[in-house]
Amino acid sequence: MVGAAMPSRVVADEPSVSRTGTAVPVRRIRGQRWAFWAFITPFLVGLIGFVYVPIIWSAVLSFFDAQGTVVPTRFIGLDNYKRMLTDGAFTSALLTFTLFAVFIVPTTFIVSLGLAMMVNRIQAARAFFRSVFFLPTACSYVVASLVWKLSIFNGVRFGLANQVASLFGSDPIAWLSTINPPLYWIPIVSVRLWLQSGFYMILFLAALQNINPELYEAAFVDGAKGGWQLFRHITLPLLRPTAVSVLLLCLIAAYQAFDEFYNLLGNAEYARPPLVYLYYLALGTQQNFGLGSAGALILAAMIAIVTILQSRLLGFGSKGES
Amino acid sequence: MSDNRPLASSPFSRRLFLGGAAAASAAALGACGSNHGSGSTQGAGGKTAIQQWYHQYGESGTQQAAKRYAAEYKDAAVTVQWIPGDYDTKLTSGLAGSSGPDAFEYHLSRALVTSNEVVELTDLIADVKDDYSEADLGSCTVDGKIYAIPMIDDPQLIFYKKSLLDAKGISSIDTLDDLVSAAKELTTKDVKGLFAGNTANNDGGALVGPVIYSTGGRYLTKDMKIGFDTALVADALVKLRQLGTDKSLLLGAPTDWTDPGSIQNGLCAMQWIGMWAVPTMTKAIDDLAVMPFPKAAPNGQPSVASGGWSAMVSAKSKHIDEAKAFTKWLWVDNTKDQEDWSLSYGFHIPPRKSLAAKATKLQSGVAATCVQLNADHGVQNDPNWTPAMGTALTDAVTRIVGKGADPEKELAAAVKKINTELQKF
Amino acid sequence: MSTAPLSNVVGLHRGGRARALDVVAWVVLVIVTILFLLPFYLMIRNGLSTTQSLTSPDWSFFPTHPQWRNFTDLFHSPDIPMLSSLKNSAIIAVLSTLGTLLICSLAGYALARIPNRAAAPIFYGVIATLMIPGAVTFVPSFIIVSSLGWVSDYRGLIIPGLFSGFTVFLFRQYFLAFPKELEEAARVDGLGHWRTFWRIVIPNSGAFIAAIAVITFIGSWNAFLWPLVVAQDQSAWTVQVTLSTFITAQTVNLPQLFCAAIISILPLILVFVFLQRYLVQGVAQTGIK
Repeated sequence: MVGAAMPSRVVADEPSVSRTGTAVPVRRIRGQRWAFWAFITPFLVGLIGFVYVPIIWSAVLSFFDAQGTVVPTRFIGLDNYKRMLTDGAFTSALLTFTLFAVFIVPTTFIVSLGLAMMVNRIQAARAFFRSVFFLPTACSYVVASLVWKLSIFNGVRFGLANQVASLFGSDPIAWLSTINPPLYWIPIVSVRLWLQSGFYMILFLAALQNINPELYEAAFVDGAKGGWQLFRHITLPLLRPTAVSVLLLCLIAAYQAFDEFYNLLGNAEYARPPLVYLYYLALGTQQNFGLGSAGALILAAMIAIVTILQSRLLGFGSKGES
Repeated sequence: MSDNRPLASSPFSRRLFLGGAAAASAAALGACGSNHGSGSTQGAGGKTAIQQWYHQYGESGTQQAAKRYAAEYKDAAVTVQWIPGDYDTKLTSGLAGSSGPDAFEYHLSRALVTSNEVVELTDLIADVKDDYSEADLGSCTVDGKIYAIPMIDDPQLIFYKKSLLDAKGISSIDTLDDLVSAAKELTTKDVKGLFAGNTANNDGGALVGPVIYSTGGRYLTKDMKIGFDTALVADALVKLRQLGTDKSLLLGAPTDWTDPGSIQNGLCAMQWIGMWAVPTMTKAIDDLAVMPFPKAAPNGQPSVASGGWSAMVSAKSKHIDEAKAFTKWLWVDNTKDQEDWSLSYGFHIPPRKSLAAKATKLQSGVAATCVQLNADHGVQNDPNWTPAMGTALTDAVTRIVGKGADPEKELAAAVKKINTELQKF
Repeated sequence: MSTAPLSNVVGLHRGGRARALDVVAWVVLVIVTILFLLPFYLMIRNGLSTTQSLTSPDWSFFPTHPQWRNFTDLFHSPDIPMLSSLKNSAIIAVLSTLGTLLICSLAGYALARIPNRAAAPIFYGVIATLMIPGAVTFVPSFIIVSSLGWVSDYRGLIIPGLFSGFTVFLFRQYFLAFPKELEEAARVDGLGHWRTFWRIVIPNSGAFIAAIAVITFIGSWNAFLWPLVVAQDQSAWTVQVTLSTFITAQTVNLPQLFCAAIISILPLILVFVFLQRYLVQGVAQTGIK
């Protein structure tokens, strides 16, 4: 961050003399300030108006009892926060999210890394495979949920999963409404896996292809035996920045999971991640904007903490290197 | 990253880019003008513009019909909003916020009255009060004042394919026990016995009300106390749970119980659904038959859930008088359109007794049976039952039916919460 | 890109074992390919079926009589506002992309190339917003948008999304690495920042801009939570909101719904086929955060 600030200062300190030595009139510095503000004002206005003001307004609203209105009138202090944190629904939403993250993050990591390594390994048709695994990006979560809910994992006999299950002699399973055992995790996790793996695979592929082959040669010459050793000692360490990126991106995305839960499970209280809960709270029948704001801020704080923690623990991987 | 291209002479003109972007934005933002948006504005020709909300009716032709009626009305410019999906949530947030309907259909509940969201409509119906049944008026009255005009009456019962029951030798289903065992017998690899909601194994689906009615109880008594016997209902709910554990319930179907798709496509043998679907079902099913929900206690009786929709006016509307006038015009005076609405798409019983008497389409076949059963065993919505009470009961039922918790204990806890709500009146 | 992965070279050294692994890789890749393409196959198969064949207990791999009329019926269906939601999605996606590119490239350039005392604090301000992921701020953003009266309005759907701190960050990083010689040559010729930007920098940044454009377009087309929150009126629905509403609608024509899904992904498939290079580059940029 310090490095980033330096260039501007250096240039500004330089006396107004261009590289060819001719003096540049002072007029240019004034013009420069105008240019800076001309360039940055549209964004700044929007940043303040649509990012900072909402956050601040919402923070203010969270200390008021605001139901069906966005104007703070009844001050209630920390009540909303207390209610949110002691509310079984919010804490169970956090639990849902935690379970979800435990399922999806390692799975996505392994699948995308595995795919990247295999695609990287083969020579022929690499572009084809890369395209196929990346193609789900063209689908939104809504489209994927549609196919998952109405075709693959619907609870009746003509769903694909149930057709397969019937081959094994099983009755049609209501995947999304089976709590015991919690089979609904299968459609939920698989939909995100299908949609996301290609994206992270591209990241890993780029990183894999940046590894200097001479490193492998050298290690081989040094007596490294077998692909696993090469993997552990060369590939994995060099992939570290990307791996950290992938983990972080995956985790933050999981925190904000909304689309597939909303479309597959709706307001089911057994699998309702934080954002779905906040949505129903603020925009559902209760229209409780004060409580919803409190929840949103708590959630934002948690994400910020996790981000900071991860960067402390694992280093801003990619930032430090290339 | 070094780029050795010489200074481009800029075929790419910023003017082109900015101009294009500006023109496109201006066009789009200009076009969006007043067409989107909230609540009432002055419509074309100086007529007041009011918004009317319906939920999505499953039968085709309904949306066009609703718009046709709105277009016929000359004293205001009525826009019809057809709301698919979760109507409850959309309507509640619409009524609470500032961009809601002026006139809308819903089920009256005391909560709407106490939070001042609906307008009194007693005067609209004053002249023809006798043409409405007591039951219909009762479901639209809170504290002696009428807040809703009945639009349609929808009896809900168990429809089934007679041939399937005959094949299993099931001649009659008189008690809840009979229903549970029949559902189990009718379940095969490809066909489930009963469809009562996509999540009926967890929350009882659409059967919670019928179960209560069939034990001889009601949600609330006339003097606003708990209207059911906890012990009897507890027993009955355990049997509902058995439907799930027996795996006789159809779950996770593409549409919920309000749509006849499941029984039509042969996914289930029996389905809890309303008379509205009779025209669609009779087209696909030759041997359609119907029965009430069987009695669920030794001294109980069969029951028919007599639902329906009523027209109301939002208290937050900026054009309350116009909305009231429109509501009177359509749902009280305009018997031609009421008849069309009740009989030309799905089947509903017209609330006006004079219309119901001459509804020939409801006088034969399955529809006639429904009407008769509704007359004999129908139970209407109770407007004193608020959403908060509903939540308390649903939570208890979910634990009993879905998780097998102690029914008496859960119901007792729910009753306590409901009583707390009742104190507030 | 032409460097053969050394695992192959190494494989050649080690013969049989590596070749076996190659076979394993191929088999796995083929299986995974089938799994990945399955949803697309299902969409097409279901979209061309009749409701009856779709719901029957017997599985048919492809309808014997593909019902192409499902597509035309879809557009005539009064219940599913396909045409208007496609129009909305298109307008929103195009304007969002153009707007984001314009606003964020300007801001990124200012932060990267125009020295000013305010640059550093503004940059920190931008970084701070990256800590707060977008989706969590939908409640406060809705509060603002609703008090501006922009609910169910293109303005509410497009404008709040134009100010992406992340995109500004990306542009800034890119411009920082942009070859200074070009700009300095422009400086010598007497061009100010404004003209340097439009005449020199932008024309030479085609690939990067294309990458950001593709990513933004896709993100906007596929966006769900924000349009769900803001587009409450049916006339303002985007294609995603329409699809979502009909997943849970009371009555649904299944084949038509699958046709709707196919149509909704067609534009992105096109983008994918023709602009994949930029898409991949855009993704790579995102990862280098």
